[in-house]
Amino acid sequence: MTARIEKTFQVKAPIEKVWALLSDPRSVVQFVPGAKITESLEERTFKGAISVKVGPIVTDYKGDIHVDRLDEDAHEIELAGRGQDVRGKGSASMKMTGKLDALPDGGTEARTVSEINVVGILAQFGGRMIYDVSDVMFKEFTERFKSQLEQPVEGTSAEAATTEPVNAIRLVSSALGRSVRRAFGGSDDSGDKS
Amino acid sequence: MIQQTSPEIGGMGHSVKRKEDRRFIQGKGNYVDDVHLPEMVYGQLVRSPYAHARIKNINIENAKQVPGVLAVITGDDLAKAGLAWMPTLFFDKQMVLATGKVLFQAQEVAFVVAEDRYAAADAAELVEVEYEELPVLVDPHHSLDADAPILREDREQKSNHIFHWEVGDRLATQKAIEESLVKAKVDAVFQRCHPAPLETCGCVADFNTATGRLTVWLTSQAPHAHRTLFALVGGIPENNIRVISPDIGGGFGNKVPIYPGYVCAIVASLKLGRPVKWIETRSENLQSTGFARDYHMTAEIGADPDGTVKALRVKTLADHGAFNAAAQPTKFPAGLFSICTGSYQFPNAFCEVDGVYTNKAPGGIAYRCSFRVTEASYLIERAMDVLAYELKTDPAELRLKNFIPPEKFPYQTPLGWSYDSGNYRAAMDKALEMAGYRELRKEQEEKRKKGELMGIGVSSFTEVVGAGPSHTFDIVGIKMFDSCEIRIHPTGKAIARLGTKSQGQGHETTFPQIIAQELGIPVADITLEEGDTDTAPYGLGTYASRSTPVAGGATSMASRKIREKARKIAAHLLEVSEEDLEWEPGKFFVKGAPSKAKTIQDIAFAAYTNLPAGMEAGLEAVHYYDPPNLTFPFGTYICVVDIDKGTGEIKVRRFIAVDDCGNIINPMIVEGQIHGGLTEGLGIAFMQLISYDESGNVQGGNFMDYLLPTAVETPNWETGKTCTPSPHHPIGAKGVGESPNVGSPAAFVNAVVDALSHLGVRHIDMPITPWKVWQILKEKGMAE
Repeated sequence: MTARIEKTFQVKAPIEKVWALLSDPRSVVQFVPGAKITESLEERTFKGAISVKVGPIVTDYKGDIHVDRLDEDAHEIELAGRGQDVRGKGSASMKMTGKLDALPDGGTEARTVSEINVVGILAQFGGRMIYDVSDVMFKEFTERFKSQLEQPVEGTSAEAATTEPVNAIRLVSSALGRSVRRAFGGSDDSGDKS
Repeated sequence: MIQQTSPEIGGMGHSVKRKEDRRFIQGKGNYVDDVHLPEMVYGQLVRSPYAHARIKNINIENAKQVPGVLAVITGDDLAKAGLAWMPTLFFDKQMVLATGKVLFQAQEVAFVVAEDRYAAADAAELVEVEYEELPVLVDPHHSLDADAPILREDREQKSNHIFHWEVGDRLATQKAIEESLVKAKVDAVFQRCHPAPLETCGCVADFNTATGRLTVWLTSQAPHAHRTLFALVGGIPENNIRVISPDIGGGFGNKVPIYPGYVCAIVASLKLGRPVKWIETRSENLQSTGFARDYHMTAEIGADPDGTVKALRVKTLADHGAFNAAAQPTKFPAGLFSICTGSYQFPNAFCEVDGVYTNKAPGGIAYRCSFRVTEASYLIERAMDVLAYELKTDPAELRLKNFIPPEKFPYQTPLGWSYDSGNYRAAMDKALEMAGYRELRKEQEEKRKKGELMGIGVSSFTEVVGAGPSHTFDIVGIKMFDSCEIRIHPTGKAIARLGTKSQGQGHETTFPQIIAQELGIPVADITLEEGDTDTAPYGLGTYASRSTPVAGGATSMASRKIREKARKIAAHLLEVSEEDLEWEPGKFFVKGAPSKAKTIQDIAFAAYTNLPAGMEAGLEAVHYYDPPNLTFPFGTYICVVDIDKGTGEIKVRRFIAVDDCGNIINPMIVEGQIHGGLTEGLGIAFMQLISYDESGNVQGGNFMDYLLPTAVETPNWETGKTCTPSPHHPIGAKGVGESPNVGSPAAFVNAVVDALSHLGVRHIDMPITPWKVWQILKEKGMAE
């Protein structure tokens, strides 16, 4: 299944500082829950892994990440990633574009558009899980990313650099909570995108 | 007319309470998963996450390290024993465990056997399979495209085309449609759905190394046929195979095919010399075992301006998934789909079907249906409504005008069937009266003026069941007779064994009722056994509403053989000639002297104690019944719906079902069958779809997505009946189990379309969800 996810967040840091962090996959990855870069193949190609646990299903995707485009002047980056679960449970691919804009208050706005394609058991859950899980992951990512940039002192982000799988219990309860709320008439802004 | 027996005897027509329910409601049923044997171990399948991928490597080393794991079997292991592939029930073959590549998501790739279920499940997680993804083919309309990937590399024919089948007069039909002044056309998809029986599939395979005998407890609707296939495929002598179908928690066609899990469990038991249990999870059942329907159909009707139909042309694309695992009679690649002329007098008809492969689970089984009858009935009943809109005539009136009249039976259809009996107008009249049809139409008219949406759907289906006569019907060569063996004990009690297998239909009650009717032995005194191939006579099993038409005939005929012997014994006991005796259920008496009588119990005792000279002892008979024709139950269903313009929600306000299944054995059980079938029809019409995304991921593979109707969604079913006995069946019965599932989807859909017809809506594909309706309302400017 294919999911298109658009996210925008703001960081209280100047654009060049944000760009320095965002334009290097090796630094970005430390903020992505469950993800790590295992090897740099060349300047713009990396080997990486990400572990995602949804309920009883753990998928460990291993694959390549490539920076397709890097526009220093416009502050735009395009990444493509593709991985297979190490135990043959399926595959996932992602194409992400990120763009930064300076804000009048000296901060920065980041806009990302991701297209994720998942094949395998995870995909059977359809949009409700993919969107909910990605929401939770993205929230965690932005929190870590912001706390790194907004911290005045360097080197205090050891916690954020964890490569543990995405916190399963929090993720599942959060995602399930959303599904349950929807079932009982709560709002759902993502259900029709799949 | 069937002679009425006393309530104590409980023959035909009595609502005898179901004998089997006592153990079911006490939790004392014995299902496959209740079988526990000493030394038993457990199997777990590893399944493919991909719809189409090449297997580059399978690493089982980590799985083998899990404590308790005894074996990990792959397709290559099976290939060495010549068992990597097995034949399907329809001239195709299917992978048991994948070799080379996988062809659908959830396909069986490896089988792990361990001391307990947990170890087996844990180890299955550790089987590492390396895949190379291949282009996926999901849409059957693209199966025959030049650039479509060829799915089946094992076949000589390098194409995704499975079969072309046609029946009827193509040219005459084309001419008649061209010359017709009124034409109607509908494109309808009968979506891929699944029977989803309460009990999933499973087995316990027990190969005894000392005796060389294999016993398999199996969720099987056709245990004898399965035994023969195991013998033919596995090379085990058939006398050394015993298949036992214990209590079965619903089948609906899902338990007719042989599944890879069964074969794997048998292979593992042969390998380990221990009993191996394999039980599916719900998702495994929905994702890999026999689906139903997936027929993409077009119907065209040509008619005169007065509404008289002239011709029907049907063209269909059948999506069979990765293997053609349809379970249907050998000569019928599209099953009995040619029943599609329905209840109407079409002078001309033509029907063609093409089957294709896609990267989806295999199947095409007959879900509560005689092999594609549901699809056919749905199509013609939808098409008749579209014609009614073209003619601006009432859909009930149009049907009444075109019904085959009672005096024309037996009626030859242009597509080759000989309908045994029918009185379609009687069933329609009764349904219209029960519904208060005229008042409903008036109410609808008034509501439309106020902008409210109400619809009335009519479906007048004709069914074809009871496969079937041996000249035409066989499954992989085995003729579709069925059998009954009856033994009367010295005390007048009896045991009967049949080649069929109840999955909840109430056979332990209804077949004894037939014997009670024929012999006068109280139904309480008759034990019924099915499902054990070591004891029951050979039969083709229970599906396609065939038990009563075929095995019911066998039961009746076996009883009559016993009655003939009983007559000889009675003549001996009463010292009169056989011609001087008269029969009433339960006794023979001397003509004109009713007090001079011998009961069937007296006669049974004499059969073991006081026989006429030269007569063989005992009182028993066996009969293999070869039906002379199929039977053709029918009925009219009327559905009334109200639609909420704000939400698109459909409320089934009323549902009237008038069925005619000929003579009835047990009215309570018939009504229960109708309630169950209508509820399944409701699920199909409004809720159920096994869909796939563009990568071949199953999107209806669990009960979060594949919905079952519950008491909350189910309306009050209003049932009625007419009775037109089958002229060729020994007790005039026709079979009823599938009628409500065959006839109801069209009634539901016709009602919704009818509610929206004044907006120009002519068809909506199932499942008709509130979302679909709301989108239509929005498009038409009606949504609130």
